Amino acid sequence: MESDDMRSVWQSQGGDGALKLEELRKKAGKFRTTIARRNLREYVAMVLMVPYFGYFAWTSRLPLMRVGNGLILAGLVYIAYELHRRASASPAPAELGWENCLAFHRAQLERQRNALHGIWKWYIGPIVPGLATVCAAISLPMFRKSVSAGLLSLTWIAVPAVVLWMVARLNHDAAAKIQRQIDDLEGLSGDSPEALQNL
Amino acid sequence: MEVRSQDERYLEAAAQYGAALHRLAGAYEADPDRRRDLLQEVHLALWRSLASFDGRCSLRTWVYRVAHNAATSYVIGRRRSRQSAWLSLEEVAAVPDPAEGEHAAGRRHAIERLLALIQQLKPLDRQVILSYLEGLDAAATAEITGISAGNVAIKIHRIKNLLTKRFHEGGGHGE
Repeated sequence: MESDDMRSVWQSQGGDGALKLEELRKKAGKFRTTIARRNLREYVAMVLMVPYFGYFAWTSRLPLMRVGNGLILAGLVYIAYELHRRASASPAPAELGWENCLAFHRAQLERQRNALHGIWKWYIGPIVPGLATVCAAISLPMFRKSVSAGLLSLTWIAVPAVVLWMVARLNHDAAAKIQRQIDDLEGLSGDSPEALQNL
Repeated sequence: MEVRSQDERYLEAAAQYGAALHRLAGAYEADPDRRRDLLQEVHLALWRSLASFDGRCSLRTWVYRVAHNAATSYVIGRRRSRQSAWLSLEEVAAVPDPAEGEHAAGRRHAIERLLALIQQLKPLDRQVILSYLEGLDAAATAEITGISAGNVAIKIHRIKNLLTKRFHEGGGHGE
């Protein structure tokens, strides 16, 4: 079979026509509800943590502990703001038609890369000062007792620190992989031989 | 100028390109249930997008862009959960055809083999081969995909060679 015959074989497959408009409106409504529920879940998770850290910020006897919990609280409020801002910045439906496939694909990859790069800045980073301060509030009295007790208290601080470092490392590697895919798309809209190699 | 509503535009687009959208969904998703979901997602994306259609490109270009972009987003999301690898046209050409040597089993068999081949391809290769199979020329494919017309023409040449090799050597799968 020649490739031109293959075209006619391909096009011989029948298919459905339009969906019912009522069904589309229903699906669009369901889509909006799903997004709204997802956003709400994230806000609620944040809001639930506010009284928890707020309580310790208000009632702790150690000033450093109060400052640490207050900083965690501020970090959580900032994360909630970023979640709201980023949820609002999702692509408009018309973007699917305005942008050609190459531009759309590149924009999607860039969004994923930026989200991975940014996760340290806006999702993990904001609570690090508070966590560090709380850790210091716990470790300093231990050091006052004895150096060995202080060093021992640092070991449990090291565990979350290593976890955070690993998260940052994995995100960095994933972002680098996406960047390579973006680089592969470079020049595809031109006619250079290099561009063709990337096709 | 005639002002048309989102619903009217959608009905026109679906009447003209409904069958092509059905075939496109098949090329992006092998599982029948998920394919049905994907097709509905594509229709929903098309209907929502047409609220902003301003005629800066043809309706055909718009429909194909929306469909490919929505389907590509879908397969990228699916790939994250399945970790399956995509191949370029060159890599696909180098892989032996699993159905090679089998006796021709008609049009349906040829389509199934074609779908299996397309579903392995990277998104941009998939978009070009589908545009070719739908009968679009290099200029129209370039407008939809954003790849230059020259590169699309060379890519189509490779696609023709691949299809001829796969389906000619197999020995006439037509009815």
